[in-house]
Amino acid sequence: MSELIRLESIVKAFDDTVVLNGINLSVAENEFVTLLGPSGCGKTTTLRIIGGFERPDEGRVFFDGKDITDLPANQRPINTVFQNYALFPHMNVGENIAFSMRVRNKSEAYIKDKIKYALKLVNLDGFENRRIDQLSGGQQQRIAMARAIVNEPRVLLLDEPLGALDLKLRQEMQYELVRLKKELGITFLYITHDQEEALTMSDKVVVMNEGYIQQEGTPEQIYDEPVNAFVADFIGDSNILSGQMVDEKLVRINGIDYPCIDGSEQGFPPGRPVDVVIRPEDIDILPYGEGLFNGTIISKLFIGVHYEMLVESEDGKIEWLLQNYDQHDVGEKIGMHVDPENIQIMHKPKSDAESAMELDL
Amino acid sequence: MIAKKRFAVPFIIWIIAGTVIPLASIVYYGFSSRDGGFTFSNITAMFNHDHMQALGLSLLLALISTLICLIVAFPMAMVLRESKYGKQGFLIFVIILPMWMNFLLRTMAWQVLLERQGVINSLLALVGLPRQEMMNTPGAIVLGMVYDFLPFMILPIYNTVSKIDNHLIEAAYDLGASKLKTYTKVIIPLTVPGIVSGITMVFIPALTTFVISNMLGGGKINLIGNIIEQEFTVNSNWYLGSGLSLVMMIFIILSMLLLQKFDKTGGQNLI
Amino acid sequence: MKKVFGRIYILIIMMFLYLPILTLIVLSFNKAKSMSVWKGFSLKWYEELFSSRIMMGAIANTFSIAILAALIATIVGTLAVLGMAAMKQKTENVLMAFNNIPMLNADIVTGIALMLFFLMIGAPRGYCTILFSHATFCIPYVILSVKPRLNKHTDSLFEAALDLGASERYAFRKIVIPELKPGIMSGFLLSFTMSVDDFIITYFTRGAGINTISTLIYSQVKVGIRPSLFALSTIIFVVALVVLITVNLRQSRQEAAMAR
Repeated sequence: MSELIRLESIVKAFDDTVVLNGINLSVAENEFVTLLGPSGCGKTTTLRIIGGFERPDEGRVFFDGKDITDLPANQRPINTVFQNYALFPHMNVGENIAFSMRVRNKSEAYIKDKIKYALKLVNLDGFENRRIDQLSGGQQQRIAMARAIVNEPRVLLLDEPLGALDLKLRQEMQYELVRLKKELGITFLYITHDQEEALTMSDKVVVMNEGYIQQEGTPEQIYDEPVNAFVADFIGDSNILSGQMVDEKLVRINGIDYPCIDGSEQGFPPGRPVDVVIRPEDIDILPYGEGLFNGTIISKLFIGVHYEMLVESEDGKIEWLLQNYDQHDVGEKIGMHVDPENIQIMHKPKSDAESAMELDL
Repeated sequence: MIAKKRFAVPFIIWIIAGTVIPLASIVYYGFSSRDGGFTFSNITAMFNHDHMQALGLSLLLALISTLICLIVAFPMAMVLRESKYGKQGFLIFVIILPMWMNFLLRTMAWQVLLERQGVINSLLALVGLPRQEMMNTPGAIVLGMVYDFLPFMILPIYNTVSKIDNHLIEAAYDLGASKLKTYTKVIIPLTVPGIVSGITMVFIPALTTFVISNMLGGGKINLIGNIIEQEFTVNSNWYLGSGLSLVMMIFIILSMLLLQKFDKTGGQNLI
Repeated sequence: MKKVFGRIYILIIMMFLYLPILTLIVLSFNKAKSMSVWKGFSLKWYEELFSSRIMMGAIANTFSIAILAALIATIVGTLAVLGMAAMKQKTENVLMAFNNIPMLNADIVTGIALMLFFLMIGAPRGYCTILFSHATFCIPYVILSVKPRLNKHTDSLFEAALDLGASERYAFRKIVIPELKPGIMSGFLLSFTMSVDDFIITYFTRGAGINTISTLIYSQVKVGIRPSLFALSTIIFVVALVVLITVNLRQSRQEAAMAR
């Protein structure tokens, strides 16, 4: 896959607040890339810089090998689906979709065909003459998509397009988006703060926080091998614990040593303080005393397929989150075990303060 | 329910006494002759040459000043929209402040500036230029109208323009529209409600004024407002005055209907 | 480039709006009566203004009429809003249409109409006819500012109060009135300023012996501009400035408090 968009050390500040701290990002042709992060992490600003609505303070934006940093939005072969859809309220559906073609003086016959095609694509045939305020949220969302794609952009930027929809509709639209992407064969750059959405749809997920890219990779990589506690916490439920390497491939958490598969080779020499992630479904329940460590079940919830339990360690210092298909009772004492490959050792997260401390060392 | 119908009784009485009967009496006098008989002559008196001339001039001057206000106010509203929040508040304050000064005094200020012995002519004389006759011209009246009514055009336009979602403008750029196209296809159409109320707030007082024309026209230029005023205060011919007022009201209603049509169609016919 | 254009544009508009006013302010301190020659600083026009009994009377009339008209309009208007809430939508729409007439109508027509009405019923034109007329054109503004405050939300608050054991009278006083209060206040202030500012309607509905600031200015300007009017302009400008700054400061302080 060839590279389509490249961001090189993008820095952006609003007034005195730095929003982007040197972002480097590469998006390949025909890829579905999701920028994922909490609000204020800089994902929207990154998108707006690519769309041409903001200008980076430092760094360059490349599109298809050409520097487009100074190219205005109306000349970029990129279109945006805005968070609140930004449909023109004084135009009907057809006129909204026709907008980009009319400003380019396309023939009315061509425009008519294209509107038909676009509406069919988003499953809203025959909606040409509807007023915008007659549409439901989901329909507005589809029209915003249709409007953005009729001009055949090479990249579609989507800024939390499903954010305003209710859960069921959101899940429907996720499939819809993936289907659309396949049919159109163009690049999608998607923004969301919903980790599930990111994992379901993307080829590549880019996790951002506080203006830095924390991790990028396939959804599987992001989920299974989070590089730090922030990513682990943001993606799915997990037990995130502070620990210390005590030997090669041995990590101590709360006084108990756990064998793992990381050591000096992976950058975790003995003595190094680390964060440890253990996914709740990776903790096996054994009879009391037979596992690596013990605890008492303090609460239990049935969540459809499985049970979710909180287990307190014997010294009362840690609460483990467990997911298990078997039923256990509150108050029951159990033993627990985690396979070494399910113990994910991570560096402490990077923040300004901690990077500074590292320099001091 | 909180409310009781009888609470509205004073209001209804007030509407009848303050609005319905007075307006009915204009109609009554407008269609009556001095001896009390029914007549159309007060209405048809509008076709009298002087009256037609005054009405024509009123329409023309009101149209010109409304247009000038519109042309000046729209960029101002856009500049306001794009300035920072704190500065915006200050600028609006600065625009509202003159509205708080009595408009007779504001009009008088232009008299002071424009008169033969006035400020501008004195300044011209200082640098050796000939004095200009600026007072008592239609131009002076238009100037006075623009000066008095400009804030009434800026504020409603600003109000609508400031509510346009920035994303809509970005969406227009995103879809390939140039600056100009973004204005003509998105910003201006969305501003139509503000433009319409701005026009109403400028055109109607300009069309019906007798004060500005009296003060800056020196009593030599008669607008339809002056004619009606004189019928009531000088000639005491309420019948004729009422008849002419009725005709003027027709023009007011017509212009409002026209404007409303623009508003309803979302301003698509505007460009 | 765009910024520069914006600044220049603002500057030109500001000059257009304020140079005439500034001229009046400067001339109000001019010793000479002339509008073209500066003969030195003097406060004599202010003395002339304040020693004029006609002017003082006009000022007193203006403000007493404004306060009374605003008060009457506020009471009648607020009651009307409450009354209309109990009516059928159709009746309400008809009343609102009539309510809009004085606002949409040209002032000169409203003035003439009221004048004819007073002539017809034989009411001697004077203070009371001006007051009646001012209340007439103020009521619509009160209704427009109070009406939006009375909605479903107010209804449920009222019902909640009843549910909690309040009497209708108590709930009305403690719940409904406070809910409407911002609208009532702004309606009152709007009425007050409209009344102070009015010339045209006053002009047609006043009698011979009575003046407000506006009508006095008009009659004086017709005779010939005296510099004491410049002094009056300066005073009005300064008062407006102070009032508006106070209001704005209070508003921004409230906003700041809300933000916290």
